[in-house]
Amino acid sequence: MTFPFTKAAAGALMACAVAFGAGAAGVAPAEAKTLRMAYDADPVSMDPHEQLSGGTLQFSHMVFDPLVRFTRDLAYEPRLAESWEQIDDRTMRFKLREGVTFHSGNPFTAEDVVFTVERLKQSPDFKGLFEPFVGAKAVDDHTVDLITKEPYPLTLTMATYIFPMDKAFYTGTDENGEPKDAVVKHGNSFASRNSSGTGPFVVRSREQGVRLEFGRFADYWDTESPGNVSEIIFTPIKEAPTRVASLLSGGVDFIAPVPPTDLERLGNEADVNLVTMPGTRIITFQMNQDRVDAFKDVRVRQAIVHAINNEGIVEKIMKGFATVAAQQSAEGQAGHVPELTPRYDLEAAKALMAEAGYADGFSVSMMAPNNRYVNDAKIAEAVASMLARINIKVDLTTMPKAQYWPKFDERAADMMMIGWHPDTEDSANYTEFLLMTPDPETGYGQYNSGNYSNPRVDELIVQSQSMVDLDERAKVLQEVERILYEDAAFVPLHWQNLAWAARQGVHIEDVVNVMNFPYLGDLVIED
Amino acid sequence: MNRLAVFFGSDFLYRFRTDPVAVGATVVLGLFVLAAVFAPWLSGMNPHDPAQIDIMNSEIPPVWQDGGAPAFPFGTDAQGRDLLSAILYGLRISITIGIFAVMVQMTLGIVIGLVSGYLGGKVDAFFMRLADIQLSMSTLMLAIVALAVFQAAFGAELFADMAIIMLILVIGIAEWPQYARTIRASVLAERKKEYVEAARVIGLSAPVIMVRHILPNTLSPLLVISTVQVANAIISEAALSFLGLGMPVTKPSLGSLISAGFEYIFSGSWWITTIPAIVLIVLILSINLLGDWLRDVLNPRLYKG
Repeated sequence: MTFPFTKAAAGALMACAVAFGAGAAGVAPAEAKTLRMAYDADPVSMDPHEQLSGGTLQFSHMVFDPLVRFTRDLAYEPRLAESWEQIDDRTMRFKLREGVTFHSGNPFTAEDVVFTVERLKQSPDFKGLFEPFVGAKAVDDHTVDLITKEPYPLTLTMATYIFPMDKAFYTGTDENGEPKDAVVKHGNSFASRNSSGTGPFVVRSREQGVRLEFGRFADYWDTESPGNVSEIIFTPIKEAPTRVASLLSGGVDFIAPVPPTDLERLGNEADVNLVTMPGTRIITFQMNQDRVDAFKDVRVRQAIVHAINNEGIVEKIMKGFATVAAQQSAEGQAGHVPELTPRYDLEAAKALMAEAGYADGFSVSMMAPNNRYVNDAKIAEAVASMLARINIKVDLTTMPKAQYWPKFDERAADMMMIGWHPDTEDSANYTEFLLMTPDPETGYGQYNSGNYSNPRVDELIVQSQSMVDLDERAKVLQEVERILYEDAAFVPLHWQNLAWAARQGVHIEDVVNVMNFPYLGDLVIED
Repeated sequence: MNRLAVFFGSDFLYRFRTDPVAVGATVVLGLFVLAAVFAPWLSGMNPHDPAQIDIMNSEIPPVWQDGGAPAFPFGTDAQGRDLLSAILYGLRISITIGIFAVMVQMTLGIVIGLVSGYLGGKVDAFFMRLADIQLSMSTLMLAIVALAVFQAAFGAELFADMAIIMLILVIGIAEWPQYARTIRASVLAERKKEYVEAARVIGLSAPVIMVRHILPNTLSPLLVISTVQVANAIISEAALSFLGLGMPVTKPSLGSLISAGFEYIFSGSWWITTIPAIVLIVLILSINLLGDWLRDVLNPRLYKG
């Protein structure tokens, strides 16, 4: 049992409501529709602010609702905020939807938004994103102002990260005497075990790593949503072929990610609804300069980047289902510099190693997850053998993401794999998290396991945050990409494409998007 | 007549020569062992050396299929390893683990079996209950628990370096009761015989009687279980590697090769998993056939005229 309501009565009431809603009143579906889905892993926590990751945000879109969200063509769609206006340089005013209730039954008000933004600013993972913000201020029950320190071009984008949490529900102390609103990474906090959002689904039971069950929220505010899924049974299936086999055998209705090796086969299958699109998630390796002295030498970093045949990885391991990268920003993003091209050149790499005085090489440790990114462990293995050619001996360890993230936070290996998708679809977001000088105060560089630090990059990114002239801003972001390229600040591999597959009749094509947050609340299932 | 002549003239050899199954199994097994021993000279590359692996060569089909390359007779795996080389090296690891694991089992089993059978009483009761407890749990389960605990406690990095030794120890320790029980049964039958009484009367010590007098008379069942156990140990190793608890992907045994290729079986690259699987099956089959034949020959009750 993983939904231990302190208010048992509320829980019982709600269960009744769900049962009644589905059975008698016919809230959304005329009959119960169950979606059995399998991802490669389940979310590590039920706390939307514990970890900034795709898994957490996917979960947030099921159990919570953001103020606004992106549509498929990256326009803003009102959710809990009905409308918004810029009232001065630094303030954006949101009119909140009325009559919305949380799963606990509490009404949703501006206070909840203020509480959520405060909590985001305290979360080690999210504080970097909310660093430009002073905070939120409630004007009345259903009006709230988001105030930034400087004029900020991305306020509305950041509102897609604000999933209001139930202030009353998360206030007080839990049975261990810990405050219920505490954000604890990899810990056992109240929020990591309990949830109350406004979202379309209520967590019914959760067994970490085994099964997660959701029921549709009977009092969901969005009665116009076409979604007819009344129940979701989410099972993590780590092994890609097993996941595909369960879809083909009818064991599950919806899977993601689809392994590149099986795309062709699933595409030819008449009963399968396969949806693919190019993505903007960059996969990289970071080289830890604090752990390995050699990585402080730009020639060594360049040698590593030159030794890695990322075109080969895309062609062979990803089966062309990815775009080769030489920088962080994908095409179409503000900071993308078309002249930066992949650098694979083994001879040049050897020459650079010799020039840096490391012709005989050295040993490094490497860690990568094995269920986070598409083919992550295989990519790491291939990179390790490519580095062996310039005499860098790699001790590779791969592990499931539940073990990997704590290791990543400890900076436990000399080279670590990290993929990043800017949920804001903005170039600055990559650098803020992956390559700015780590600073626990501001949260910048939270995922910079390489400890790369370049004051010029920091300065440019901070500058870009308050630039409202988008053309000028793009120039600054492009300069950042050029510096990072020259510095070989990280090893760029590729941007991962996205793929989902479902059985025919499960209309995932209407709810998936380039952010990879399927809006399952709106999913329609036909028989 | 010298000993060699005795052997050549023996009934044993005669029955071996006239049994085509036994001859066939021995030839196949011999070829496998030779291939394993001479793997570094037979294979086109060293699959354990990452510098020799090129990702651009990945998933090349076997030479007899369209797109095959002569440099890779059995094709390549997903990382660009030559499958033939990987199988030869994998065979080496599998056979090494099989033989050494059986030696661990045999040593433990013989000592415990002799002592319990000869001394009897409380010592016997203790060891046999221990064996009962251990036999009530499957070998694989014990091995999975032990290896998973080791991996969690010491980290995957150390585990990868120690994998061969750990597998030998775990499989060796998990299966000693098979030996101990067989030896004990033979000892119980032998210890009442006159020659043992005689040895005792002339004042020989218990260890000498056990090792010099009783042990040689229990050797034929030992030989039979040993062949079967080598096959079992190789299977256990393959199963553990398949589950990700055995040899790491960078130093693949047959089991880890099968496991690594499993992912590609739906998508057309069947050879990565199928060819090592066939090699494993043939290897196990030949050992088991030989074991069966040995049992028939050494068991006088099964005399096939």
